[in-house]
Amino acid sequence: MSVQVASTAVGQVDRSAWPRKPRPRWSLWFGLVVVVAITVWSMISIEFTLAPLFTDLTRGAEILERFFDPNWEFAWRIRDAWMETLYIAVIAAVVGNGVALFLSMLASKITNPNTVVYQGFKTILSVVRSLPDIAYGLIFAAAVGNGALAGILALIMFNIGINAKLTSETIDAVDVGPLEAADAAGGSRIQRAWSAVVPQILPNYTSYSLYVFELNIRASVVIGIVGGGGIGQVIRVQLNQFQYENLGAVIFALFVVVFLLDRVSVWIRRRLV
Amino acid sequence: MIRFSNVSVTYPGGVHALRDIDLEIQDGSFVVVVGLSGAGKSTLVRAINGLVPLTSGSLEVNGRHVEQAGRRELRALRSEIGMIFQSFNLVKRTSVVNNVLMGRLHQTPTWRTLLGWYRPADRELAMQALERVEIVEKAYVRAANLSGGQQQRVSIARALAQEPKVMLADEPVASLDPPTANVVMRDLQRINRELGITTIVNLHFLDLARRYGDRIIGMREGEMVFDGTGEQADEKVFEDIYGRSLTADDVLDLPAQVGLADVVEQRTDGESARQDPS
Amino acid sequence: MARPIESRRRTTVPGSRPQPPSKTRKTIGFVAGTAVIVACLLLVDARWENLSELPGNLGNYVSLMADGVLSNPLEDPETGYWQRAFELMLESLYMAWVGTMIGAVVSFPLGFLAAENISPRPVVLIVRQILNAIRAIPELIFAIAVMLPIFGFGPAAGALALGVGSVGTLGKLTAEVIEGIDRGPVEAARATGARQLQILRWGVVPQALPEVVAFWLYRFEINIRASAILGVLAAGGIGSLLSQLFAGTRQWDRIGITLVVIIVVTIVVDLISAAVRHRIISGGKQQLVEVAETSSIPAAS
Repeated sequence: MSVQVASTAVGQVDRSAWPRKPRPRWSLWFGLVVVVAITVWSMISIEFTLAPLFTDLTRGAEILERFFDPNWEFAWRIRDAWMETLYIAVIAAVVGNGVALFLSMLASKITNPNTVVYQGFKTILSVVRSLPDIAYGLIFAAAVGNGALAGILALIMFNIGINAKLTSETIDAVDVGPLEAADAAGGSRIQRAWSAVVPQILPNYTSYSLYVFELNIRASVVIGIVGGGGIGQVIRVQLNQFQYENLGAVIFALFVVVFLLDRVSVWIRRRLV
Repeated sequence: MIRFSNVSVTYPGGVHALRDIDLEIQDGSFVVVVGLSGAGKSTLVRAINGLVPLTSGSLEVNGRHVEQAGRRELRALRSEIGMIFQSFNLVKRTSVVNNVLMGRLHQTPTWRTLLGWYRPADRELAMQALERVEIVEKAYVRAANLSGGQQQRVSIARALAQEPKVMLADEPVASLDPPTANVVMRDLQRINRELGITTIVNLHFLDLARRYGDRIIGMREGEMVFDGTGEQADEKVFEDIYGRSLTADDVLDLPAQVGLADVVEQRTDGESARQDPS
Repeated sequence: MARPIESRRRTTVPGSRPQPPSKTRKTIGFVAGTAVIVACLLLVDARWENLSELPGNLGNYVSLMADGVLSNPLEDPETGYWQRAFELMLESLYMAWVGTMIGAVVSFPLGFLAAENISPRPVVLIVRQILNAIRAIPELIFAIAVMLPIFGFGPAAGALALGVGSVGTLGKLTAEVIEGIDRGPVEAARATGARQLQILRWGVVPQALPEVVAFWLYRFEINIRASAILGVLAAGGIGSLLSQLFAGTRQWDRIGITLVVIIVVTIVVDLISAAVRHRIISGGKQQLVEVAETSSIPAAS
């Protein structure tokens, strides 16, 4: 459109002097075509269709109705399970974030000058991160039995995966001047990391830790479903028994809890950082 | 005493930063190293505390050989050598006193560092160091909230807290405005005179070098091309060191005859008023 | 709290030692935090004694899994195990991709509606709350609550649940990117007398698109992991296989093969996605602007 304006305004000018309009690079169009192709192929493969939204809506209507007629008394009756989810999330966040700080120091070339060791830890961390929380839930439920302990252990692994990666990337980007100063003062590597690196990464690390804690409430539900205790276990039982009124109440309550914790964590972050 | 014997440093990539340096620095002297950037000044200074490893030759500092020192020995050696940097290298997010306490790292057990429980005696040393550079009133302020000149004084205090025998300064005033640069140089001179700390400073301003250096060493392409007193180092000598005629960038814009009182008056960076140190 | 200390310090005489800042607040915070953690440890009904079994059991599982992973994959039954794991991992990728695309398409206009510098205040507030609400709900709950009753069990329902779940974060991040754009081009467009839609198309989209697309890719990485979670509800994909394997007799050799497939495929996809994201954000910025100008990517429809 802007080209039109230009051409009418400078009609008589010798157009051969104009630069050629650059052609967008082929790689871009190629990329776009690839994206569309992948999407179409994926949709075909999983037989994706929105048709049930129009044809089968009535099938779900009854269930939805029961859903939106929640049994509030039930959400209160399972308060122990709620508290257990909270305990699990807190304990896992404290342990997981602590271990993550330590591992991220080992997985950054700034704090760990030994290339082989730091590459090794980087690899370990990306393996830890690649497994979904549900896999950890299943493994630990097998190893220590269903219950809160399995949930805590699974969430710790999940938290390490997320926080250690983010924190080690933050460490990679710190100002190395203070580290040089700590070296020049004769400090050891641990002292250098603690006095010159930690103060610099503290705001980001705190943010990541709170973020991980927020994720934990949601993740502990999932892990609970496969045997990690807490509210997830309740959801699984109610689902198996088709108690949609109870499920509705739990889900609405969960929504409120997560929402409130989200606010609390935003508040803490503002105070600390 | 610091003794360089046939010291050479070659960086990976083949840059010869130092070539066959032979040099003796007496205890308690104030030495200024001048030269263009890339002449090897920085490498010379950093070799002394082992931040840059030698390629060949030997370097003796207070009776210890830097090139033979293991990691533990090197840390012990470094704890006797304070260092000041061009960009101050403070941890900006933490308080001034915590930065100065970094000078006590070598004498502090690791568990105390982790908990932040420095010994009262170390805290006292840190406060005294801050008093010596006359900035103790800022002890609990975040380093980030200080001006450049104040930050450099804090970093001098950090080096002093090490109770060093040698003080190294790598372009300590290159990031400062002229009046502040003079204040920092005078602090260094005063510390050298009062405490007898051997001081080695890299500079590229010839007027500052002449004013403060008891001894001036000129570096050019990794070699020592001049070694003499401040009086001997006239403009001809500097043109020789720099390999070109002098320009306005080589002097610090402040007439050499300006007295100390004028300097104090001229300070405009909002630093707290200080007594004339002389 | 920090202010009064500052002002008190400012009044101190130069050269005299200042009062150290009060440690009361720090101490209270520390004690309260410790108390919360200790309370959680005491109150949680975890069988800590089982912890002693953990190393032995894990070691046992790992060696059993290693048996499966290290045995010749060209022989039966391992060939079948590897094949099945790859097929289902691929299905998970499909689910994640379709879900991400749904999330991207829906969240893009919502991002504009939630951006303070684009939309009127009431609209921003309402859309923000909707996005917050969506973010608070785990995908699993979407699947349970809405998708499964209507769509039945299967990957299509899973993809839809992932899509809805992605809208919350993507919408919020898109809005933040739009709020952070350089105002210059917008004002320039407005100065030429452009209509609102034209301003968005030429002044806002080219600036915001690279970062937004990078977020889409990042969300894809997250959705791969989330799709495994949906598998527990028989939505298909690798999660279904995992929960079947664990629910049955726990064939650890097969579980090991499945985990290796998950790890390898996820890491490879993460690496590709990260590389593309870097390109888009740094070098590719110019290119994406070109695409925005020459193609008909939905601007603010």
